[in-house]
Amino acid sequence: MRGLRWRDSCLILFIIAVFISLTSFNYRQPLKRYQLSGFAQGTTWQLSYYASDSVILKSSIDSILLEIDNSMSLYKPNSLISQFNMSVKGIKLDSHFKKVMEKSFSISKETDGVFDVTVKPLVQAWGFGAKASNKTPAAAEIVNALACVGFRKLELKDDSLVKSKSCLEVDLNGIAQGYTVDVLSQFLEMHAINNYLVELGGEIRVKGIKSDGSGFKIGIESPEEHENTSMKKIITLNDGAITTSGNYRQYKTHGNKKVSHLINSRTGYPIDNEMISVTVWARDAITADGFDNVFMNMGMKKSLSFLEGRTDMAAYFIYLKEDKSIADTSSAGFYKFFNN
Amino acid sequence: MKRRGFIKNAGVLTSSMFLSNELLAAGSFVAGPKIRVAIIGCGDRGVGIMNVMKQLPEQFEIRAICDVLDFRLQNALKVYTSRDLKSYKDYREVLDDKAVDAVFIATPLNMHFEIAQNAIRAEKHVYLEKTMTYNANQAFELIEIKKKYPAKVLQVGHQYRSSPLYYKVKEMIDAGYLGKVTQIDCRWDRNGNWRRSVPHPSLERQVNWRMYKEYSGGLAAELLSHQIDFINWAFNTQPDQIYATGGIDFYKDGRETFDNIQATLRYEKEGMIGNFGATCSNKRDGYLFKIKGSKGTISLLMNQGMFYTEELNSKLEVVDGVTGATKITWNKDGGAPILPEPTKDGTWYALKEFYSSIITNKIPDSNIYTGTKTAIAVDLINKSSYSNTIQNWLPEYNRFDRG
Repeated sequence: MRGLRWRDSCLILFIIAVFISLTSFNYRQPLKRYQLSGFAQGTTWQLSYYASDSVILKSSIDSILLEIDNSMSLYKPNSLISQFNMSVKGIKLDSHFKKVMEKSFSISKETDGVFDVTVKPLVQAWGFGAKASNKTPAAAEIVNALACVGFRKLELKDDSLVKSKSCLEVDLNGIAQGYTVDVLSQFLEMHAINNYLVELGGEIRVKGIKSDGSGFKIGIESPEEHENTSMKKIITLNDGAITTSGNYRQYKTHGNKKVSHLINSRTGYPIDNEMISVTVWARDAITADGFDNVFMNMGMKKSLSFLEGRTDMAAYFIYLKEDKSIADTSSAGFYKFFNN
Repeated sequence: MKRRGFIKNAGVLTSSMFLSNELLAAGSFVAGPKIRVAIIGCGDRGVGIMNVMKQLPEQFEIRAICDVLDFRLQNALKVYTSRDLKSYKDYREVLDDKAVDAVFIATPLNMHFEIAQNAIRAEKHVYLEKTMTYNANQAFELIEIKKKYPAKVLQVGHQYRSSPLYYKVKEMIDAGYLGKVTQIDCRWDRNGNWRRSVPHPSLERQVNWRMYKEYSGGLAAELLSHQIDFINWAFNTQPDQIYATGGIDFYKDGRETFDNIQATLRYEKEGMIGNFGATCSNKRDGYLFKIKGSKGTISLLMNQGMFYTEELNSKLEVVDGVTGATKITWNKDGGAPILPEPTKDGTWYALKEFYSSIITNKIPDSNIYTGTKTAIAVDLINKSSYSNTIQNWLPEYNRFDRG
């Protein structure tokens, strides 16, 4: 017995020694960059991570993305969200949908309804939905749509999302991409990856450093008409998420008037303010993604006062001045990300 | 400098998104009365135009069809019929018909000049299928005749470049997105004999006119002329030197026009080489149209196009990611779509332009002058390949050049 114990101890010591030498060997191994990319949610995704070996399979990323698509994609007629929109009273949600709804309700409350996932009937009325049109809707049409809009008309009861009116529909396109980026980030961290960049449709989350020790550099896209101005920025991040919402690419022309795809859920009309684009930093992408549209909606003054004193969120704005020239500014918390 | 690169790349497509909403939108026609038209030549192309025209009932009303072959007329009546529709076998009777405002000429190439000049003299608007004329002299003569009727519109049926996609490509070239363009690769290939079925052996030459030099300019006139025309227009140029080769290499079936051709066009002022080829015995490439510059490549189909930047890799070196509203989608092979969705058939946009040119009395973009340049280029390609000689663009060809 004793002999065996002694042999066991030796074995254990040996294993420990091997383990230490292996891990210290691993530690000395320079981290290599691995990159994956693909298509999902009607756009592209890419992730870069730094590790000593390639531990993430593209197929596992694809299956996560498929799961989320099956839950929250409006383009899939059989997705859970499509089922919810067609339902009379609501349906039971899966965990993805539920988490996104919880976050949506919390942002809606925090912004007093500026953020509202029930805006879909209005988006449709303004011709940005599945049935595109270039007609300005009649006032009555907007009133009708407004009757089917309002996050307070929805309720989360345990795992179910319940409608108070059957015409209510939700559109999570303004927040689901951010959520997806978070899910992928968590997946990487579960695999002990602590240096990464995840990007889906221009929504980004990063952690750590690259193999050369520097942070992740992120370009903020600016509208083409504002090229050759100082608006082009590159920021450096070590942690957190960065997302952008803008008016400059998606709009329609009704007569001579440009109409934004961002609709104010309280008035029923497209927003018409000085904002051109907002880039938001937050700890996670679902927050940044949820708030980028909020700030587009709020306008510059309200956005800046909303952000004042906050350390959990910051934003960079490109906007139109009264003299129609373009300017940019940042909330106090954002300046530290600029390289120069 | 590099930093500017990535924003620039994103920018191409930013403006394309703007364009798409406006140009792809249907229904933005100028208001005006219906144009009463006649279709002269009811083969595949004539009937094809009729089919598109049916989608534009507010703009066009087909009042007459004309063909020398009875079965063609019967076939056309299956596509479109109305109480007011008249059938003619002689195009001169169409020109006498006061109920016709405009004629669409979709006959064999050798008839284009004769019918078009008489149509203009009869004060009809003319939509003349490509290639405009069989040779340079006919083109010049047509210009002289047309000058006497400035109120009449003559549009040449290089329909693809009427589409918003091809306008967008011209805009991108002008804005320098491709940098300095040096090479253009074009193909229009098929694997088939290019023949139509003949109801009776006596009709062989009339039905399969494309096979015979007397009527047709062959593959260069019928297919490659579209791409040649686009390059002329987009770069505001014409080839200075043409060397072409070809042969009846697969279908030794009594045809006279080549079933396999390759033309090299030298654009001296632009410092460009255009490679235009077509074969009837391999369809792998099908329609291929690539414009290659120092900063990027455009690859076009008829209804969609991709832009590939040469700077993508350097962009990735500069930044690790880009955040933006509705991100540009680079596809798997590093390209970004020029327009977010495929365009309609080119003929639809060409008909729209023809209509608005008539209503607003403007010269269409595909007009008698651009049509002349292209007809000359095609003529030179055929001269070169039939005679094994290098052909030069003569200064006198530019006497009507309007840029």
